[in-house]
Amino acid sequence: MIRAHTVLEKVKKAIVEANVKINEEIREIIEEYEGPFSDIIKENYRISKEENLPLCQDTGMVEFFVFLGHKTVLEEPIEQTLNKAVEEVYREYPFRFSVVSDPLFDRINTETNTPAVVHLFQVEGNKLEIRFLVKGGGSENLSVLRMMNPTSGIDRIKEFVVEHIKEHGAKACPPLHVGIGIGGTADKAVLLSKLALTRDFKERNEDPRYAELERELENELNLLGIGFQGLGKGKTVYSVHIEHFPTHIATLPVAISVDCYLCRKGKVIVEG
Amino acid sequence: MKVEELKAGQEIRYSGKLIVMRDQAQKRLKEFLEKGEKLPLNLEGQIVFYAGPARTPQGKVIGAIGPTTSARMDDYLEMLFRLGVVATVGKGKRSKKAIDTCRKWKRVYFITPSGAAAALSKRVKSARVLAFEDLGPEAIYEIEVEEFPLVVAIDSEGNTIFEE
Repeated sequence: MIRAHTVLEKVKKAIVEANVKINEEIREIIEEYEGPFSDIIKENYRISKEENLPLCQDTGMVEFFVFLGHKTVLEEPIEQTLNKAVEEVYREYPFRFSVVSDPLFDRINTETNTPAVVHLFQVEGNKLEIRFLVKGGGSENLSVLRMMNPTSGIDRIKEFVVEHIKEHGAKACPPLHVGIGIGGTADKAVLLSKLALTRDFKERNEDPRYAELERELENELNLLGIGFQGLGKGKTVYSVHIEHFPTHIATLPVAISVDCYLCRKGKVIVEG
Repeated sequence: MKVEELKAGQEIRYSGKLIVMRDQAQKRLKEFLEKGEKLPLNLEGQIVFYAGPARTPQGKVIGAIGPTTSARMDDYLEMLFRLGVVATVGKGKRSKKAIDTCRKWKRVYFITPSGAAAALSKRVKSARVLAFEDLGPEAIYEIEVEEFPLVVAIDSEGNTIFEE
């Protein structure tokens, strides 16, 4: 049986790290950046690390993707453990409580940064794998879904992605990590686009046709020249990832999600 | 230096006061005005910084602080200028309407780096809540900054660094 405490401690540590320690893949890219504000951006991750201050004041709504092995037994429901981890971390560190209890009427801050968003997938085996994104509101507001005609094809998808990033990319703290979900149903496509953001930049889709589309989109989006902070210098996107799924004969759902230039995320694995 | 003299693309370091305010606070100010009530603060000659800080660590002036997406608050921009605000600070591109509003009122819009909140917090010398404390991170604060990095993103003639 996997003890709740074991999961809690590992997840807490990973969430703190994601908030205060720059992702290594990104640090390398920022080190090369010499445009406006480059001094402050570089100074930022040194101060964060030294003082345990968050890299960004928007310490997000935490979104978890849980892959639970079918032979795994948990001491308590995983959602409970994960919410406990978020609450403890956000109370113990000077992070921002950014979650409100009701989206429309009261909008009262929960003062715990919970509830977190939890997606559960059951997989084979006895392993528990938890991936998460620390998702700020600015990047989350760029999420979009379009139900395309089933005959639309690659060019229409590219057009949709490029137009969307061209119009809104500068609002979400570029360079961006772009996740695309293609197929399934409407909700599935959005979920896939988020899952795509848990990938490492250098990974490529296993299907060479999607891998090619990822590369093409990455190049086209970088040609937009939005750059760091939208100021035209440096990359516009770090990487583009696509996740796909079978769909209905009448549909072609396409969803876009983006992550901001800090790409705060993490992964925890516990063997059962 | 007068805001009218600033040009789009210009980088400056600002020292002085900023009024920290975001979505919910501006919504409330609008409601005060609609009801004809007196506002809890005076914005004449002030610079508004669209931000909501993280919690303040013990013994520190303020927690991590940085800009939020300005475009979300474009509908309140005219109200701010009417109340005497001379400039706004945030992140990202703004709407055509916001650019026109800056031109009409001869006011400017600055951007300051996002995702650099730990570093920016070091440039804040003092902070106090001015109004709406119940909004937590969305309360209105007055902060005093030193050498705060800004880039003019929309100038008083409506020139912008972003592609329209």
